[in-house]
Amino acid sequence: MMAPPAIRTILGAEVRGLWNRLVKRGATRLVVLGALLAVAIVVIGGAVFSLGDAAAQFLPMARDAMLAGGFTALSVLMLVVGFPSVIATFFVGRDLLQLVLAPVRPVEIFLARAVLAMTANLLISGILIAGVFGVGVGSDASPVYYALALLLVFVIVMVVTSFQVMVMSLIIRWVPARIARDFAAGVAALVGVGFYLTWNVSLRRSFGASRVPDFSNLAAFAQRTDWLPSAWPGHALSAVIAGDWSSAIVWTLFCLAFGVMLVGAAGILYQRTLLAGLGLFGGGQAVWKRAPARRPKSMASGAGSPARAIARKDWLGYRRDIRRLSRLLPALLFPVGYALTLIRPSRTLNGLWSDVAVAAFISMFVSMALAVPSIPSERRGFQLLRMSPLAMSEIIRVKVALTLPPVLALTMLLTIAMAVVGGVGIAELLQLLVLVIWLVIGFVSVGVSAGAIDPNFEAADDRRAVGLLGTMTSTGGAIAFALLSIGAFALFHLGAAAATGARLGPLPSTPAVAALIAGAGALLAAAAGALVVVLLVVANSRLRAYEGAISST
Amino acid sequence: MAASMNPTAVEARTLVKQYGATRAVDGVSFQVGRGEIFGFLGANGAGKTTTLRMLCGLVSPTSGQALIDGFDIHGQPLEAKSRLGYLDEEPFVHPHLTGREFLEYIADLYRMPRGPERQRRMERLLRLFELADRDGELISAYSHGMRQKIGLASLLIREPSVLLLDEPTNGLDPRSARLVKDLLEELAARGTAVLLSTHILEVAQALCRRIAIIDRGHIVATGTMDELRAQAGSEHASLEDLFLKLTAGPESRELIERLLAPNS
Ligand SMILES: Nc1ncnc2c1ncn2[C@@H]1O[C@H](COP(=O)(O)OP(=O)(O)OP(=O)(O)O)[C@@H](O)[C@H]1O
Ligand SMILES: [Mg+2]
Repeated sequence: MMAPPAIRTILGAEVRGLWNRLVKRGATRLVVLGALLAVAIVVIGGAVFSLGDAAAQFLPMARDAMLAGGFTALSVLMLVVGFPSVIATFFVGRDLLQLVLAPVRPVEIFLARAVLAMTANLLISGILIAGVFGVGVGSDASPVYYALALLLVFVIVMVVTSFQVMVMSLIIRWVPARIARDFAAGVAALVGVGFYLTWNVSLRRSFGASRVPDFSNLAAFAQRTDWLPSAWPGHALSAVIAGDWSSAIVWTLFCLAFGVMLVGAAGILYQRTLLAGLGLFGGGQAVWKRAPARRPKSMASGAGSPARAIARKDWLGYRRDIRRLSRLLPALLFPVGYALTLIRPSRTLNGLWSDVAVAAFISMFVSMALAVPSIPSERRGFQLLRMSPLAMSEIIRVKVALTLPPVLALTMLLTIAMAVVGGVGIAELLQLLVLVIWLVIGFVSVGVSAGAIDPNFEAADDRRAVGLLGTMTSTGGAIAFALLSIGAFALFHLGAAAATGARLGPLPSTPAVAALIAGAGALLAAAAGALVVVLLVVANSRLRAYEGAISST
Repeated sequence: MAASMNPTAVEARTLVKQYGATRAVDGVSFQVGRGEIFGFLGANGAGKTTTLRMLCGLVSPTSGQALIDGFDIHGQPLEAKSRLGYLDEEPFVHPHLTGREFLEYIADLYRMPRGPERQRRMERLLRLFELADRDGELISAYSHGMRQKIGLASLLIREPSVLLLDEPTNGLDPRSARLVKDLLEELAARGTAVLLSTHILEVAQALCRRIAIIDRGHIVATGTMDELRAQAGSEHASLEDLFLKLTAGPESRELIERLLAPNS
């Protein structure tokens, strides 16, 4: 009897593992996951599709730039977002050690893993396909276009994956092994942030102070990235639309040749470095090397304080776990970029409301980035807290208290900067700041609670440290809290306007009406507060009853 | 340590733990007295770790009660936990802290007074476990045995009156294993109650005054060596013989022969 080929065996085991993980989650989780996925596909996919469709119809000259830019932008996104997963698939994990011990050739491991790694980019390539199809519909493309688009998206995913493997293989050769993985994640994150900021600056110039958008900057930016191989599929597709078959074939051949070359090179490099990578990463996490013992002169007296101990540990952990940092930095930089793009000298009264929206968004983003992982990132060390004579409510309180200062500092700084740039008056700035403080306290509490409601302390990957329920709680809770709070803020404003006798459309401006409106605002604020309290209470009881698998060996 | 007058340091009252369809622990009861070293033996998957985790409050029992110094670990967790030190099969540590920082963290977590005395104790522990010259390294760079040792040190720094240890000598070199044995005897002589699970029968026999053997979630025998022998009805049996007899499975020799038999 012939033994089955190694690739099939490896893939079979992976698929079975995925299946088991899915099925063991239970029926409700599966249904929720499916529903979320369907909604995401319809909403995001539909939006991107219509955007492509509309853009292709109304800007026929920009089709090539759009397609090329779309492929490049999403390749960069895959490069950054998928990097940790790709590294994990190819270089980390005890199951890889098992494969290395077995009489299997590294090429076979590489191919089997490449298929697996593609799943990491499934979501983004789905978005890309939706957009590209939209452009096709908008420009009445022939059926060849769609078939070619699918092929080219597949090629681009393979190219990105191979590129990631190559980068990692090279890094393993040159960078001290212990920090290689963090180094790679950091490089990827920085590339992404750089791209994003450049893009943002172009956007800002394009949609800047003048009323008529000026697309020349945007077009110039797109042109500057034209030569990148990631833009080639876009050229091929736009040539198909234009009916220019010879250039379409040339660009497609370029893409295919480039893909084959990169996959081959990655395969060869991978063979050379697999063992080196594994020997070094197989076990625990990579960390910076430490300078030899520095005796702390801890002659402090008084009782030890658990809160201070947790604060110190978290601080040291953040400093030393470059991977966590490399994930946090982009998360913090994105809202800054966003704020930069949107802040404009305000021309009308609406200025305050756009500032409110931006401030709310920034507070939410920064709070969530820091607060949600604060309890799950304890990892197995959480058991130490559970065994210590600390109540869970105390631990939640400490985590909220520790997350608040940096988030508050950052958001208040951004808010003040925004107000100064936007020429907001001092009274309105004060209102904004009060709102931001209220929002941050709420968001951080919601985030910490969400992390506590569904933590996965055994997750090997930080991104899996919070489960689906936690992610949903954090997003849903934060959005609900934001809506209630901003609603309250708006009602207070309206009430104040009514009290001063301003015209309020159909409403009469009497003190009674003003009081009524303010009362409604207070009610909304109370509801927002109640939401936070409920989440904190649920988090407390979930943590007390927590019993997820403690890694049993 | 404020020891209460209760002579029973650890008490398991018909502990049951159900995982889905399997009963990992099925009505386990025993008591450990102050100053006693109590051994917990059983085959792989017999339920030792689950029992210990129920006793220390990491896992809540399906039914039954766990008392530490008379305090219910679920009813009065703070009182019970402050008296308790638990070492897991795979010690809980923070990989991004150095050995020394980890000890500081634990000491602070249990509100131990800071100051020179605590510092001295830490130095002694680090030296005792031969970690003194590696104390500035991150725990993620520690070997398996070193992690086990820093885990033990993190228990001892706060002088708990009850120690629950899950295979404490697992992965230790002979010298360190000996050190741990001597240490436990010394601690017990000073009144600490020690409950330890182990697969090394020699450790159990040398160290433990009383032993419980657990099989598929049930305690099949408890007592001193002599009492165990009496229960098994064989007067001069070694602990290994007793263990094999009390946790009877299929005869291994026959299975081995079947495995190695040439294909017919
Ligand atoms: N989280 C869990 N979910 C489901 N079953 C579990 C879980 N933890 C333990 N079990 C089951 O409970 C039983 C007892 O496990 P336990 O870890 O207590 O055994 P043990 O005596 O410590 O074994 P070993 O000597 O191998 O450490 C086993 O059958 C195990 O499969
Ligand atoms: Mg065990």
